[in-house]
Amino acid sequence: MRKLMISAVLLLMAYSPAKAGGYQVSLHGQKQIGMGLIGTSLQMDASAAFYNPGALAMMPQRLSVQAGMSGILASTAFQMDEPSVYQATTDNPPGTPFYVYAAGMITDRLAAGIAVNTPYGNSLAWEDGWAGRFLIQEISLMAITVQPTISYRLTENLSLGAGFVYAFGAVDMERALPIQGPEGEGRVNIEGSTANFGFNAGIQYAHPSGLQAGISYRSKIDMAVDDGDAYFTVPSSLSQAFPATNKVAVTLPLPANLDFGISYQATPDLMIGMALNYVFWDVYEELHFDFETNTPNLQDSRSPREYSSKLIVRTGGQYRINEGLFVRAGAYYDPSPVNDQYFSPETPSLDNLAFTGGVSFLPFPNLSIDASLLFIIGLEGNKYFSPENFGGTYKSRVIIPGLGISYSL
Amino acid sequence: MHKNQIKYLLILLLLPAFWACEAEIDQATPDAGEIDLTTFVAIGNSLTAGFKDGELFRSGQEHSLANIMAGQFMHAGLSSFRQPYMKDDLGFGNRLVLADTEGGPMPVPAPGTPDAGNFQNIFQSEGPFHNMGVPGSKAGHLLFEGYGTLYPYFGRFASNPQTSSVLSDAMALHPTFFTLWTGNNDVLLYAISGGEGDGITPVIEFEMAYQAIVAQLTAAGAKGAVANIPDISSIPFFTTVPYNALPLLDPAVITLLNTAYEAAPHISFSTGLNPLVVVDPGHPAGIRQLEQGELVLITALNGIQNQGWGSQEPLAAEYYLSLEQIEDIKEASEQYNSVIKDVAESYGLAFVDIEALLKRARTGLYYDAIPFDTQFISGGVFSLDGIHLSVRASAVVANEFIDAINHKYHASVPRVAIGNFPGIVFP
Repeated sequence: MRKLMISAVLLLMAYSPAKAGGYQVSLHGQKQIGMGLIGTSLQMDASAAFYNPGALAMMPQRLSVQAGMSGILASTAFQMDEPSVYQATTDNPPGTPFYVYAAGMITDRLAAGIAVNTPYGNSLAWEDGWAGRFLIQEISLMAITVQPTISYRLTENLSLGAGFVYAFGAVDMERALPIQGPEGEGRVNIEGSTANFGFNAGIQYAHPSGLQAGISYRSKIDMAVDDGDAYFTVPSSLSQAFPATNKVAVTLPLPANLDFGISYQATPDLMIGMALNYVFWDVYEELHFDFETNTPNLQDSRSPREYSSKLIVRTGGQYRINEGLFVRAGAYYDPSPVNDQYFSPETPSLDNLAFTGGVSFLPFPNLSIDASLLFIIGLEGNKYFSPENFGGTYKSRVIIPGLGISYSL
Repeated sequence: MHKNQIKYLLILLLLPAFWACEAEIDQATPDAGEIDLTTFVAIGNSLTAGFKDGELFRSGQEHSLANIMAGQFMHAGLSSFRQPYMKDDLGFGNRLVLADTEGGPMPVPAPGTPDAGNFQNIFQSEGPFHNMGVPGSKAGHLLFEGYGTLYPYFGRFASNPQTSSVLSDAMALHPTFFTLWTGNNDVLLYAISGGEGDGITPVIEFEMAYQAIVAQLTAAGAKGAVANIPDISSIPFFTTVPYNALPLLDPAVITLLNTAYEAAPHISFSTGLNPLVVVDPGHPAGIRQLEQGELVLITALNGIQNQGWGSQEPLAAEYYLSLEQIEDIKEASEQYNSVIKDVAESYGLAFVDIEALLKRARTGLYYDAIPFDTQFISGGVFSLDGIHLSVRASAVVANEFIDAINHKYHASVPRVAIGNFPGIVFP
């Protein structure tokens, strides 16, 4: 456990995730990733604390501990609105979202656990000096949640659970300013961090025939940076107009999720399932920067986002080859919540079609090494940021290998 | 772990190597449509030449409207485009740069001595030239043989300053495609002299010259694009200084001024913003105060702020435009523009509506996430002289030409990305 905590701290330092609809990151368990991220109705282990706290009291082990991480290799391409031959691509640092779960049965019916993971984030760097740099050059956005959870089995078939979510996060973004000086273009860098609370609750139903169903709800959390730093680099003759160090307030909502999942143990070896994730993205209406010091040249900015809530459809399954080897496959469709007319390249989230695969090896009955691989195809689409007349075609490709370890008693 | 299991694990971990992870977007191939871009000649005035910040100079020419368009035409058939480059960034020596002053960044003359080569004819060594934009030229000048002897901006690159005209030098290249943007100076030179210098070209003269130019350019079947001219109320040279640029708060100063103008009772000052006092030979008293809607030239700004122009000393007639003069300018601009539109239609040419573009720019607009408006210096549309386009605005105008050409001739010449061009440099 102590070692796990140390690795968690190391992972925190390396953390810079991205990819899923909007700035939600859904990489919370190698087994689930392998099955198209159908986690809601599963009661395999401690990862239920995140996917469906209601299912935690149904887990077959007395104690379950697991940890893992993924490496996001993402690339987005941009072609300026035709006829133009201008193209640009992102040059992203690899993102490394992670998770740590631990849960145990306190009594036959009561389980307690903790989940630490990274459900939201965005890490993006466009090639230096690209044509959209006045909207965004690079951004790193992250939120880590810590969720103590309890779950209680009401009957043989039904259990409930809930967790308290503590989220902390930071944002660091840079955009160019269309102001030229002898040493090049001006720029603004905004940095800040914040923390807030929310909850996660769920219900799990398990029928003796092998049918399982779960519903879970994770609340919205507003990440309000009240006291961020805004650093302006401008030509010296404009230093009055853009104070070099300023304070800025900005709020980013982490949207609520309502998930429904169903799965079926068709044979002792084969399990199949599906999940529906409804993400309440409509809370992200605008990006508002409120600067502490305003000047005639530096006003607060309100930039529309007008995201739409979206339903993600997932399906997947796993097959047990023998006691020591499981294979998994899945797929999902994750439509973009971003408004086509307010599509800012800071979050170039497209309609995503994803295919997943995974394996688990159990060198010992208690220990499982879990690997997963996720391919995301961001479907090519014409998108515009109309208020500032910037747009074109975007397309993305993401590959995410992941490795985890699970231990149970 | 089983050997088999290790094999599976390795396969899974190596799979990413076989996946093309980089997103790539297929591009449509640029196409010239119904036009032949083998030889492109740009004809016009300072706006085509790349004149900005009060001067024609090398780095400005590199980002001239003509050169930006030519760069894009090269995706669709054009192979070479030669410009009559100045030797340095000082040109004939009138370039302005921004300096940090107490009142904020203001244009001042660029330091340095221009290269003597800027004043020498370069046709033999570097010509012929495809950018036939001549700063200061009116429509009729383009037909004028020997224009180079009178106007050094043409003399320095005319094939023969004594005998050639801008148009004859252009025609010698046998253009297959041309752009023509002229007419601005036919009215602008009058306007920037406060209506006291150069006259407005009568519309009939303008029309004859314009018809003659287009007839010659299209005689061998060349296609082209023509642009109209903006209204002066979009140009900061005329709109930066308000008619009532005299703020008065101190009662003592107000009394002093009223006393000074006692002999002219139609002139009075009060608390707040007061209209400037100007010389008006047409007025019975010879002086009067400006009326709302009258325009003060930006060249009067320093005198108003520091030398009592418009208050202690009436502003000279060459520093403002009266309502009547403005009306004459507007009328001529509108008439020229209807000639340009008619000619475009009758010759089947692409038509570029610059007047509408600059009208829209007045209230502010964005191109490729860069804000533009027509404010002096800060607005980004106009360069430091307040009349000529900035580099980025030249790129925007190039896109307007490209759009009109693509639309008219079913071509797909690529547009430029505005952010790839430099902005106005602040100290």
